[in-house]
Amino acid sequence: MVKATPETRLQSEVLATVTLSFVMDYVLLLQRIFDALFNSAIYSSLALALVIIFRSTGLLNFAQGEMATFTAYIAFVLLSGPQPRLTGGGLAGIIPGVPFTIPLAIIGAVICGMVAGAATERALIRPLGGASDLALVNITIGLLLAVNSLMAQWWGTGPRFFPAVFPSGAGQHFLIFGARLRYSTVGVWAILLSVLVLLVLLLRHTRAGLAFRAVSISPSNAELVGIRVGQTLMYGWALASGFGALAACLSANSVLLEPSMMLRVLVYAFAAATLGGLDSPKGALVGGLIIGLSQTLIPAYVPFIGFELSVLPALLSMVVILLIRPAGLYGTRRIERV
Amino acid sequence: MNTAERRVSRKSAFGIAVLCVALAVIPFLTSTTSLRQATQIIVSVLAVLGVNVATGYGGMISLGHGVFVGVGAFATGYYVDDLSMPWLLAIVLGAATAGVSGALVGLPALRIKGIHLALVTLGLAIVFRPLSKRFPSITGGVSGRSIDARFDAPGWWPGDTRMASSVYRYLFCVLVVLLALWATWNVVNSRFGRSMRALRDNDTAAAVYGIDLVSARVTTFAISAGLAGLCGALQVVLVPFVSQDKFPAQESLVIYASAVVGGLGTIWGSVLGVIARTVVGKAGAVVAGFDGLGPIGEFFDLLDESAFVFGLGLIVLTFLFPHGLAGIRQKDRVRG
Repeated sequence: MVKATPETRLQSEVLATVTLSFVMDYVLLLQRIFDALFNSAIYSSLALALVIIFRSTGLLNFAQGEMATFTAYIAFVLLSGPQPRLTGGGLAGIIPGVPFTIPLAIIGAVICGMVAGAATERALIRPLGGASDLALVNITIGLLLAVNSLMAQWWGTGPRFFPAVFPSGAGQHFLIFGARLRYSTVGVWAILLSVLVLLVLLLRHTRAGLAFRAVSISPSNAELVGIRVGQTLMYGWALASGFGALAACLSANSVLLEPSMMLRVLVYAFAAATLGGLDSPKGALVGGLIIGLSQTLIPAYVPFIGFELSVLPALLSMVVILLIRPAGLYGTRRIERV
Repeated sequence: MNTAERRVSRKSAFGIAVLCVALAVIPFLTSTTSLRQATQIIVSVLAVLGVNVATGYGGMISLGHGVFVGVGAFATGYYVDDLSMPWLLAIVLGAATAGVSGALVGLPALRIKGIHLALVTLGLAIVFRPLSKRFPSITGGVSGRSIDARFDAPGWWPGDTRMASSVYRYLFCVLVVLLALWATWNVVNSRFGRSMRALRDNDTAAAVYGIDLVSARVTTFAISAGLAGLCGALQVVLVPFVSQDKFPAQESLVIYASAVVGGLGTIWGSVLGVIARTVVGKAGAVVAGFDGLGPIGEFFDLLDESAFVFGLGLIVLTFLFPHGLAGIRQKDRVRG
């Protein structure tokens, strides 16, 4: 039996603190990962919306975030019913007096988003008939500006409270290895994954899905075998806008509903889509996961970045990926004539 | 070979004459406040011109020129206050700082093209505000900083009223803007300007003809950012206060929209873009001022938001007049 001299006692104390701090850090790390997962799901779904459109139409929809925010406002209006005081002017007059529950309001918003997405394709993108990059950028930037100021005019620029979709109170979480995994995170991922399964089933096992895949690979060949390319693209836009609407409604509680709420989220989503490969749905999912994690972990462990600047790593990763591997992780490489 | 190209057309000469008369009359018609606002509008031509150089002449879509305006403003404030430089030097260095930052952005633009460059510059526009909050010693952080130095009229300037001082600032800014317009017109019609346009239209062919892609792209972006930075520097001359909340991403987008609406690839386009933005804003405010229009009035309230009209304008013009207001008589559509 060793007598506890002051030195050995000191040693064991040091050992204990080191172990403790390691365990603490481990829990903290796990906690941060859990926290990041919520944002990851949002980024993944918005990135998915961007990828679906880029894959089929070959354009980056800069207005995706604003269109999504608009649908979140629609959900907000549906939830608060015909109360002009709450909702500002605008749509308040045409709301039926039925109280919507949160799931119903979100479904309503997603449907509105899908209709708006399809209408955008039909009215603004199809008539241009594969115009230059510049024209497409102009259209989507014009949409971004118009929708953004429309929302500011109707609902004001101040943030509004959007009810939480899942229970997210103080004690509502699973405890895993001492870290808290919130119900809302689990719920968001459950929704995202189930919608993804539906999407895969749709693409693999329906005629419309087959047509969509054909159009994504080669619009001109798809047209030759009798697929109505325009209509198929319209469905693609509807699908993408549905994903965007879902992302906006699910995140409106945590980022507070305001006209520009999706602008920052859009940078993360674009970074996620670029990282994964702009034409790869799988890449959007993985990219969203990575970008979400890095958004939380990098500021936590790199003091210079801080939480103010957490959007900087996303932008930098986007630039670096575009520079060294423009196809991203899973995208198809393009061969350029030099 | 380029004498025909460089000659000012009769129509342009008429336009320049009208513009000069308008610029000469403005200071006699207004108060100090509205003269300052008029000067700010005139100064904003530079930012739009910057986008025009990068996008219209260089073929590189930039959605982030508000960032360079911001860099120019912050840098000028820093030079004139913290380093106590004389104003002229601070303005030149402020624009140069923005130009250097533009060159840095132009470097990735060597490989990142078209729609991807638009994406990166939009990202830059969104990141700029948090980034500038991170350096409060230069930018004043969240609340911004006021500049102690004043751009006042020198001793020989007749009159020492506030109006005389405003007129002095107005004339200074107008002179700088006109000089910048003239210089840009010369650059885009020079040998370098032709290589810029060659790059825009077909970079492979341009390289075959011996144009150095790297230096041409970086220089184009630097010039264009420098123009935007000059706009920022003159804003500091007019209002000695800079703050990050003057440079939201939407501002960059409205600058871009003004350039496109006015017309890319002509110097006149930038002037027309700013005039259109001003007219839309003023007309909107007047229309929104009428009461008793009922539900229609609520729709017209939207006109007050020039961003809304500009968003729609961007869409409509892309369909009807892809060359912008300056090219409204050119009927052909841009289809790839």
